Amino acid sequence: MSRCQQVARPLVRSLRPCPSAAAAASQSSHTTLAVRYLSSTAARRDLDKTTTTQPGSDALDAALLGQSAAAAPQDTPQTRQQLAALGSADLGSRRRRAALATTGDIPFEQLPYQCFQEARKILNQDREEKIAKIVAETEKIKRLEAADASTMRGGEAYKQKRLVSLREHVEELKILADINDPEVKRRFENGTGDMSKPIYRYLANRRWRSMDHKIVVQRIEQFNIVPDLLPRFEPTMDVKMSFRGYTVSPGAVLDSRLTEVAPTLRMQVFDKGERLLTIVVLDSDVPDEATDGYARRCHFLAANVPWDPSKNLLSLRQVGGGGGELAVPWLPAFAQKGAPYHRLSLFVLEQKAGETLDGAKLKALYGGRDGFSLKSFRDKFGLTPVGFNLFRSEWDEGTAAVMEKHGIPGADVEFKRARVVSMKTPRAAKGWEAKRQGPKYKSLWKYTKRIKGARFERN
Amino acid sequence: MSLTLNIRGLATRLFARPRLPTPTTTTTARFTTLTPVMMARFDSSANTFGGKAGLAAKQKRTAKKGSKGEQRDPKMINMLKHFAILSPRRIPPPLRMARNRHLRHWTIHRAWLLFRRREREGRERTLMRQYQGMYAACEALRLSDGPGTRETGYLYRVAMEKKGVYGHHGVPIEYARPQTETPARTPWNHDWKL
Repeated sequence: MSRCQQVARPLVRSLRPCPSAAAAASQSSHTTLAVRYLSSTAARRDLDKTTTTQPGSDALDAALLGQSAAAAPQDTPQTRQQLAALGSADLGSRRRRAALATTGDIPFEQLPYQCFQEARKILNQDREEKIAKIVAETEKIKRLEAADASTMRGGEAYKQKRLVSLREHVEELKILADINDPEVKRRFENGTGDMSKPIYRYLANRRWRSMDHKIVVQRIEQFNIVPDLLPRFEPTMDVKMSFRGYTVSPGAVLDSRLTEVAPTLRMQVFDKGERLLTIVVLDSDVPDEATDGYARRCHFLAANVPWDPSKNLLSLRQVGGGGGELAVPWLPAFAQKGAPYHRLSLFVLEQKAGETLDGAKLKALYGGRDGFSLKSFRDKFGLTPVGFNLFRSEWDEGTAAVMEKHGIPGADVEFKRARVVSMKTPRAAKGWEAKRQGPKYKSLWKYTKRIKGARFERN
Repeated sequence: MSLTLNIRGLATRLFARPRLPTPTTTTTARFTTLTPVMMARFDSSANTFGGKAGLAAKQKRTAKKGSKGEQRDPKMINMLKHFAILSPRRIPPPLRMARNRHLRHWTIHRAWLLFRRREREGRERTLMRQYQGMYAACEALRLSDGPGTRETGYLYRVAMEKKGVYGHHGVPIEYARPQTETPARTPWNHDWKL
C-alpha cells in the first residue's frame, strides 16, 4: 500500500456511510437526528418535508394576495416533536450530554458560567442603584406636590414643569432598571411581555420604529397622504391590517374580493393608559365627472373604541358589539374600470381624554359617505390622528360581482381619457408617396395609393 | 453587519477556485477536501509510475505546470491581492449561537458596556473635580492680598507668569512628549545625546 493510501484510509472510512450506523439509524430516530444536529440545513430541509400544504380555500386567498400559502410556517405535531428532540438531553456531544445529565434543571440565571455570573452581578448592582434612584425621585415628587407653589420663585408654572420633568425622569429610570435583564429580553422576544409595563412598551416601540414605522412614513410621503388628506401627520402607534387572515403590507394593491369584508386590525399603542379611538377608512380617489376631478368617500367610521397598550386585536366586523360605536358600516373597496388606482387609507384618531363622540350625530353627518373630509372631521371633534395604514384598489375581474352583491351602482361605467384635439393647422402631406399621387405616376400607384393609415389628399 | 457579510460572500466567491487534484499533498489537512474518487486517482498515478522518486518528481512538476496552464488576468491578480483582507480566512464568520447561549452572550456584552461606561464616567468625574479644585485655588489666590504691602492678586499674577520655574527660559518637561494616560514604555531615554 502506498504512503498516500495509508494516510487517507481512516478518512475514506469516515467518509463512507458506516453500515452499523445506518442500521442504528433505521431503528432509532434519535441517532438520525443526532446526525442532522451537526448540520442545520439538513434538519431544516427535513422540517419542510413534514409540513403539509392544504390546497383549497387558502389557495384562492393566497392567489389573490400573490403569496404562496405554503410559505407560512406551520406548527404541526411532527415539527414540534422534532424541535423537542433537538433540545433533549439525548443529543449533542458527550460533553454536553454529561453536563445535562449531572446538573439537572438549573434556572437560566443560575447557570454556572463564571463570566455570566460576574456580568449578572454588575447588572444587578446597577439595577439596585436605579431602583434606589426611582425611590428617591418619587419621594422628591411627593414633596414637591405637597409644597406650596407660592413659595417658589417660578410659581405654579415652575412647579408643574418640574413635576412633569421629574415624572419623565422616573419613567426613564424604570426602563433603564429593566433593560439589561436577559429574562425581559427573552419574554419580549417570545411575545409574552406584559405591555402594561414600561419596559415592554419601550422595546415594542423600538422594534416598530426600526422598520414598520419607516415604511408607513414612506407610504404617507409617496402616496401624498400629506398634504392630500391632512396638512401634517406623524404616526405614533402601530397599525397592521389583515384581510381574511392575511396581513397586507401598507400600500399594496388588493383584489376587490379580498377587501369585500372589513379588515382585522392589529393595533399597538406605546404610551400607558386607557383612551378612546376613532377609526376611519376613506377613499381619496373617487372620480368625479362633474368637476373632472377626484372626490373623497368614507368607507368606514367607528368611534369610542376603548383601547390600552395590553390590547392588540380589533376586528372591524365586530366593532359595534364589544365597545365602540359603528357610525358608518364597511363599504367594499372598489374602483371603476379605467379609473386610476384608489388610495384607501385607514386612520386611527385618538379622542380627547374623557370625551365620547355622539354616534347618532356621526351617522347623520357622514352616513351619506360622499365628500368626507378627514381634516374637517378632526377639527370638528378635536381628534388627534395617531395611526395609519393604506391599501390600494383597482378594477379587476371580481369588482363587478362585488359591486352587484353590495348594490353599488356604476359597475358598467368605464372611464376613458378625453381626446385632446390638436390645435395645429393641418399641413400638406410630405414624402415620396405624397409626391407620386398624380396621374403622371400611374405606374407607381400600386406602391403609393393604398397605404394603410395614410391619406394623401390632393389640394 | 450585513455589509460585512456581503463582502464576505463576495470574497468567498472570488477566492473559490475549482480545486485540481494536485499530487503534492504534504499536509493531512489538504486531504479533507478530497473525495475518495480523487484519492483513487492518486493511487493509480502512483502505481503506474512505480516507486521511483525521480519519475514521481517529474510527474509532480508536469502536473503543476498543467494546473498553472490557465493564465490569470493581472488585473484579477491585483484585485485578489487587495481583496485578500476580506478573505474568509481573515474575517471570522458571524457568531452563531443557540438561544440561551446568545442570551448569556448578550448579558455579558451589556455588563461590559455598563462597566466601561462607569469607568469612563468615573474618570471624567475625577478630572472635572481636579480641574475645579485647581480653579478654586487660583480664584482664592487672585482674591487674596499679597505678602506685606503688595496689592490684591499679586501672588496670582506672579504664579501665572511662572518666570524661572522651569529653569531659565525653560518649558515644563511634560511637554517633551504628548500627554498620555499611562507612562511610556521606556520612561526616560538615558542614552540620548544632542
